Amino acid sequence: MIRPFSIVNKTYAWLDERTGIKRLVRRTLDEPIRGGARWSYVFGSALLLLFVIQALTGIFLTMYYVPSADHAHVSVAYIQKAVPGGALIRGLHYYGASGMVLLLIAHLTQTFVFGAYKKKRELLWIVGGVLFLLTLCFAFTGQLLPWDQEAYFGTKVGTSIAGEIPVVGHLQQRIILGGPDITSSTLSRFFMAHVFLLPLALGFLVLLHVYLFRHAGAAGPFDNREHRADRFYPKQLFKDSFFFLLVFVALVTVATLMPAALGPQAKPGSDFLARPAWYFLPLFQLLKYFPGRLTLIPTLLLPGFLFTLLFLLPFFDRRHERHPLRRPVATTALALVLIGSGSLVFLAKYQDKTNPEYNAKLQHQEELARIFLKAQFRPQEVGASAVRASSSAAGSLNSNAEPPKEFLATCALCHGDNGEGNDLGPPLQGVTAKPNRTRDDLLRILDNPPAYGLKDPMPVSFPDLSADDKRLIVDWLINLNKQDSPSLGE
Amino acid sequence: MKINLVRTTVKIPSYQSDPDLDELRDAQPPDSGGRAELAVSDERRSFLGLLTGLIGAGISGVLGITLGRFSIAPALSASNASEWIDVAPLAEIPEGKPTNRSLVVSQNAGWGHFSSDQSVWVVKKAEQLTVFSSVCPHLGCTITENAGGFGCVCHNSAWNGAGEKLSGPAPRGMDTLEHKVESNVVRVRYQNFKQGVAEKSVAS
Ligand code: FES
Repeated sequence: MIRPFSIVNKTYAWLDERTGIKRLVRRTLDEPIRGGARWSYVFGSALLLLFVIQALTGIFLTMYYVPSADHAHVSVAYIQKAVPGGALIRGLHYYGASGMVLLLIAHLTQTFVFGAYKKKRELLWIVGGVLFLLTLCFAFTGQLLPWDQEAYFGTKVGTSIAGEIPVVGHLQQRIILGGPDITSSTLSRFFMAHVFLLPLALGFLVLLHVYLFRHAGAAGPFDNREHRADRFYPKQLFKDSFFFLLVFVALVTVATLMPAALGPQAKPGSDFLARPAWYFLPLFQLLKYFPGRLTLIPTLLLPGFLFTLLFLLPFFDRRHERHPLRRPVATTALALVLIGSGSLVFLAKYQDKTNPEYNAKLQHQEELARIFLKAQFRPQEVGASAVRASSSAAGSLNSNAEPPKEFLATCALCHGDNGEGNDLGPPLQGVTAKPNRTRDDLLRILDNPPAYGLKDPMPVSFPDLSADDKRLIVDWLINLNKQDSPSLGE
Repeated sequence: MKINLVRTTVKIPSYQSDPDLDELRDAQPPDSGGRAELAVSDERRSFLGLLTGLIGAGISGVLGITLGRFSIAPALSASNASEWIDVAPLAEIPEGKPTNRSLVVSQNAGWGHFSSDQSVWVVKKAEQLTVFSSVCPHLGCTITENAGGFGCVCHNSAWNGAGEKLSGPAPRGMDTLEHKVESNVVRVRYQNFKQGVAEKSVAS
């Protein structure tokens, strides 16, 4: 009779003889946790596991993603809208970035409060600080990859900050961008950094961080009163897993309920109001208070000072005392940084909300992004079919009068500047040839789109358009030539 | 794999003076004196271990299934293009002589609608029109003209002018494509066929 259990045991013994895996597993699981397992220790392993998820989802996203200005946006739209599971995987990756930063802040705060950076753990702390910086680099390089408006203009502002640094700034900005401006070359560079360079560096440093941690051992509670220890397995491992389960469920929920943002493709000349991700908002907000040459304070001096302080902390804070209440300077400093950053994030959001002009513009942009996300995915024409599509669009452009500015302001974003349609809305050329689209019908549609069965993303009404505006638009529309349908179309 | 661990709570004297953890790491489970108390912790241990395993399996399962679907589903749903494509005006096809014509085949592939050049052989004999795919039914090399008939240089297969197999490793005659003549233009429904099998069938 074959007993599966003994086969497993034998295989394990065979493997152990050659690899010493038993001892490794024992060492890993038996690691003593001074003072016993605690929920406050869960952030480190959650970061590690979330990094694994970021790596996995990231690797799979490159199966469809194309790092070229011509195709990046459409390939991301394809992932988001057309590939089964694509929205979830991109959502996990997208919100995972925020999750990484949040967990980093929690992990750093816990380590700081517990005084766990002190003697014997200086290198551990410094490697952790570098990991923090690398994570921000990950977020910054990843932002450009979808090549939508937000990506383009966010990167534009971000890299301009790098350009303002005296002496080396200009050169540095050129090197980051791969030229004087954001182009397809910039995208290739950011892709290379995001997908090869940073993961290699981060992966290596994470291993080093874990090794150093295991070498120094868990620091344990700061009050030194509990004279006992738990093994890492099972209590701490369970706490770690359970917390990560919560993180994972939260990510899946957010990614499902609020699909990762993707707006219309980048239009370099447009007046897009760029706002950075929440973790860069403190820096963004500070920029408002330091005009002109003083910009150097928030962009370089203050972050530089804070990170230098962070790296040097274990060297000038050499007392053995680890209780946060008996380290008033350190604890106050941390509280100030946290409250300060939090207030800056809040202020940045609040000022955008209360400024009617910004608020309206931001809401309009969000609305457009929402419309784009809802519109059905349309594959990009590549090769001979692309030539055909663009020549027929050009043909319709020449044969018609200039579109009225009301059309450009209200309709063009989804239906194209000449009614040729784009990735948001259908073409309008020859629309009168369709049933229920006479001149009167079109006017009534502008009064009440839902009455004609037109659904989202078509707005439910056009409050900005007067009756005269509508007539102007419709009169221009009905004279648009019917576009020759491509012979190979479906 | 069952790892024989006994959960132990190790008492150590004090933490005030930078204690060395090696002492803790190598601490052995207490001897049989503590067995009765340890039995309880053992059960708790395997229960927590089981929960941890379940969480790991759950997360891996959700990720695995999603990533699998993400990778495989688009590959299975991609269609084999089969639309009518213009080949040439009928008048341009000479009687009796195989004519090679290239045509642009477009198909949806992922994020794009791609066009690629393919070539076909058109043969007109006694007003009877035949259109052959130039893809070799053996392993997919391109079929060329050869001494009044056709040949594939990759592994030396040969066909006569009617596309019937004469020699070589190709498993069948040349593949014909569905065609029609509309307002004096030859049109073809371009398709790919399964390679290496004796019966012609559409690759799907
Ligand atoms: S591929 Fe044509 S003979 Fe082998």
